[in-house]
Amino acid sequence: MSPAAHPRPLGPGQRRGVGSRAFVTLTLAIVSLLWLLPYAWMVLTSFKTLPEIVTAPAAPLPAGLEWGAYAAVFDAMPVGRYFWNTTVMALGIAAIQIAVALPAAYALAKLDFKGRTLAFGLVVATLLIPAQVRFVPVFATLAEVRLVNTMAALVLPFGVSAFGTFLLRQALLSVPDSLIEAARMDGASEWRIVYGLLPPLLGPTLASFFLFSFVYHWNDYFWPLVMTTDDSVRTLPLGIALLREQGTGVRWHIVMAGNVLLSAPALLVFALAQRHLLRAVTSRAA
Amino acid sequence: MRPHRPAAPYLMMAPTALLLGVFFFYPVVYAAYRSLYEWDLLTEPRYVGLGNYAHLIRSGELGHALMTTLSFSLVVVTGAMSLGLLLAVALNRPGKFAAFVRGAVFSAYVISWVSVALLWLWVLDADAGVLTASLRALGLPTANWLGDPDVALYTLSAVTIWKIAGYAMVLFLAGLQDVPLVLHEAAALDGASALHRFWHVTWPLLRPTTAFVGTTSLILSFQVFDVVRVMTQGGPVQATTVFVYAIYEQVFLNLRVGRASAQVVIFFFVLLVLTLVQLWLWRRKGAA
Amino acid sequence: MKPSGARSVSRRHFLQGAAALCGAACRRQDEAAGRTVASLWFTYGGRNRQVLERLVARFNTSQSSYFVRAVYQGDYFEGLAKLRTAVAARSGPSFSHVVGEVVPYLFEAQVLEPLDDYPGAGELGILHALGQAGSFLGGSRRPLVALPFNRSTPIAYLNGQIFEQARLAAPTSWDTLREVARRLTVRRGGRVVRHGFGCPIDWWFWVALVGQAGGRIVDAAGRVTLGGDAAVQALELWQDLVQREGSMKPPPGRDYNAWEQTNQDFLAGRTAMIWTSTAFLKYLEENAPFPVVAAPLPKHVERAVPTGGTHWIVLRQAPEHEKRAAWAFLRFMHEPEQVIEWATETGYLPVTEAAIARLERDGYFARHPNAKVALDQLAVAMPWPWSTELFRIQREIVQPRLESAVLSGANAARLIEQARALIEGQSG
Repeated sequence: MSPAAHPRPLGPGQRRGVGSRAFVTLTLAIVSLLWLLPYAWMVLTSFKTLPEIVTAPAAPLPAGLEWGAYAAVFDAMPVGRYFWNTTVMALGIAAIQIAVALPAAYALAKLDFKGRTLAFGLVVATLLIPAQVRFVPVFATLAEVRLVNTMAALVLPFGVSAFGTFLLRQALLSVPDSLIEAARMDGASEWRIVYGLLPPLLGPTLASFFLFSFVYHWNDYFWPLVMTTDDSVRTLPLGIALLREQGTGVRWHIVMAGNVLLSAPALLVFALAQRHLLRAVTSRAA
Repeated sequence: MRPHRPAAPYLMMAPTALLLGVFFFYPVVYAAYRSLYEWDLLTEPRYVGLGNYAHLIRSGELGHALMTTLSFSLVVVTGAMSLGLLLAVALNRPGKFAAFVRGAVFSAYVISWVSVALLWLWVLDADAGVLTASLRALGLPTANWLGDPDVALYTLSAVTIWKIAGYAMVLFLAGLQDVPLVLHEAAALDGASALHRFWHVTWPLLRPTTAFVGTTSLILSFQVFDVVRVMTQGGPVQATTVFVYAIYEQVFLNLRVGRASAQVVIFFFVLLVLTLVQLWLWRRKGAA
Repeated sequence: MKPSGARSVSRRHFLQGAAALCGAACRRQDEAAGRTVASLWFTYGGRNRQVLERLVARFNTSQSSYFVRAVYQGDYFEGLAKLRTAVAARSGPSFSHVVGEVVPYLFEAQVLEPLDDYPGAGELGILHALGQAGSFLGGSRRPLVALPFNRSTPIAYLNGQIFEQARLAAPTSWDTLREVARRLTVRRGGRVVRHGFGCPIDWWFWVALVGQAGGRIVDAAGRVTLGGDAAVQALELWQDLVQREGSMKPPPGRDYNAWEQTNQDFLAGRTAMIWTSTAFLKYLEENAPFPVVAAPLPKHVERAVPTGGTHWIVLRQAPEHEKRAAWAFLRFMHEPEQVIEWATETGYLPVTEAAIARLERDGYFARHPNAKVALDQLAVAMPWPWSTELFRIQREIVQPRLESAVLSGANAARLIEQARALIEGQSG
């Protein structure tokens, strides 16, 4: 059960008087405004026109529902292509991560073999080597083999997720050995077990991890910034960031329209699958 | 369990091992190797021994990057933790409204750093931004949020806190849920006030969560890059040149791959120290 | 066999993306069918970008052998970073444009295609001061690798209304600059509500000041010495205006943020006079609610300005057919019609003699005296040294010290000395 979605009911001593409840409600309202107003402002700005931005940038409401800014975003860049690149990249990463983590987690959780502790230690040790450390050597190496600015450069370096392997191993530890032994006696091969038997058992964990990884990499700016040069495999965050064209007046309504397009998918996934994402985040603490 | 075939576990670990080797361990070794050279990617590398490290220290670049990142981290970690805890305590209640507010706060964590950066870049614009306009309308003082060297780093810290407070909140909520109801009841029966209960019952039990939130926020704040790149590009006057941004500039603007590799090696050790601290604190969690 | 929840979310994304892609891909195929394609990486945004894209489109429709695909790469600095790394990773474009300071470096690194032997290279009729020969010391002794594209000089823009009211004329010396800035600075309640003068704290303008103070960034032997005492005087002028007089607004931000801010301050009437590139002439004229008057920069010991903007370069590593397509485009861009359109629509200088002659004949400069200012200033333009270290010196050594000196009031002489020492150390 995800804690943030289903908190406990009020315990003893937590009943409050009307005044205190009003105060709490007011505080909560202010808190939600602090987080929601910026989005609202982003959306409102995206419906303005350039004269409005220049003459009255802080005016609360746009004069009308103008879609010009959105049209300008599509004019300024191949949004569809960027969207596609980003989605393919994120899907590819999440899929490969799961495909690679499943057998590794299974071996680490269920199979006795020499060097198991060392292997697990090494996997966890990679948490010490984040993208911000790897990018210089990986970039230099990929540059030498002409793989910069390719989808491979965006996906392969993330093929292993230590977090995912850890998560799956954790989940597998609570899967009873007897299930696996039974499958073996039925003649299933180890690979059959890994890719056939385990996924349904690990359903929620896999879903959470997949979504978390997908959203995380969809939103990634740093790695695509480093690894791409032109717009053939450019991702959406990079494209939208480029909307800040300097020198002749930043056209904020267009930047905000782009920002709406950029934020929408993550917010959509969040709205639909909040529980799964939260589970992925909080399981680290478990 | 014993493996079906002796080779099976090794085969299962093979893809992981291969990818880790190529994309994690080899790069660290390669970076250490390259840090001894001067290389601009276009011409031949030139061996300079420890020259890159010497330059980084002598020129003050290293010290500056470390100080900037540390100041930034300090503000972000204390801010995110305090705010996260406060929000968790305030929102640890049932009901649709509380759930909605929790969602709103956490949503900032889910969208990309670029989204957050562009959004706040617009809100904080010194002339056209709505924050300045609102403050002026209320007669309150304003500042050049992103253009004043003394203020810019704090502005970026605030934006970062806005983004990750939801993450801290969610972790604290999980921690709060773990405090058994029984303890609250016992304390209440003993006549303890809400604040007293929090301090003596909840807080000690939250300590492992607090440690975890603290160290993950610390490491997260050390890896910050996107907000700096999108909002200030390391300026004004390098007031916001945090470590990762300094490395990025070294490679892509100065084309000094050797020196950047030296910075990467140093950064790796800094992270190592931070993570060891995290692991040490984490180990104590089991003691509760 | 993954859980269905995750599948349905990703399936939705997949379909969305597929639909979007088909639209984009189909259009792309049609445009370039059967033609030789050259890729151009450019670094303009806003208005100037629209003009460039228009010219590219005109080239593409005016003939059917070649097709230029133009890709936007951010601002100069970001674009340059991408270009250099792309070249290193051998995934670069066919051609692009870069700032003058980096041309010698790229040439020495064997990245640039020599253009002398391309058809018609000798007959482009380029204005001497703007071509490679005139822009670089010793530029004519090297193979032709750079053609002028958007070339500029810094000029002063005056808020016509304010100057008229105050009955002031454009300053012609550093003393009158101080005077005018002081007179036009307006304070209200201890706060400055209008600055008399604004200028991005940037290498380019500093080089102009150094030149005006009689120094040259590079000495007679071709070494980068930063101009001796003139360098300190230049920096101290800024420090005076910002720190002591308070009449110059220090723009915030780095790189192009600062230039953007200067423009906006001028347009909003917050700064009465600014120095910025002639490249913004059209933009400022069109967006200012007051008459904009352009004026040359003042003199101190002498008049001097650097040239700026970028040069076309073709990448050596591009395939032969792409280079040919790029060359066809470059010839197209040097025809009088295109040169004139580019110059008059933006404010950059017209780069060929033929274009300038035509503009004079048509009385363009008579109608638009602002446009002549930068052109006339070319008479006092300083060429850049042909130095491979120049862009590094600019970016790593000088620029940060300029910012620090002006914004935090550090000792100018010491900073310049530091810079010089670092440069000497580097040339070892």
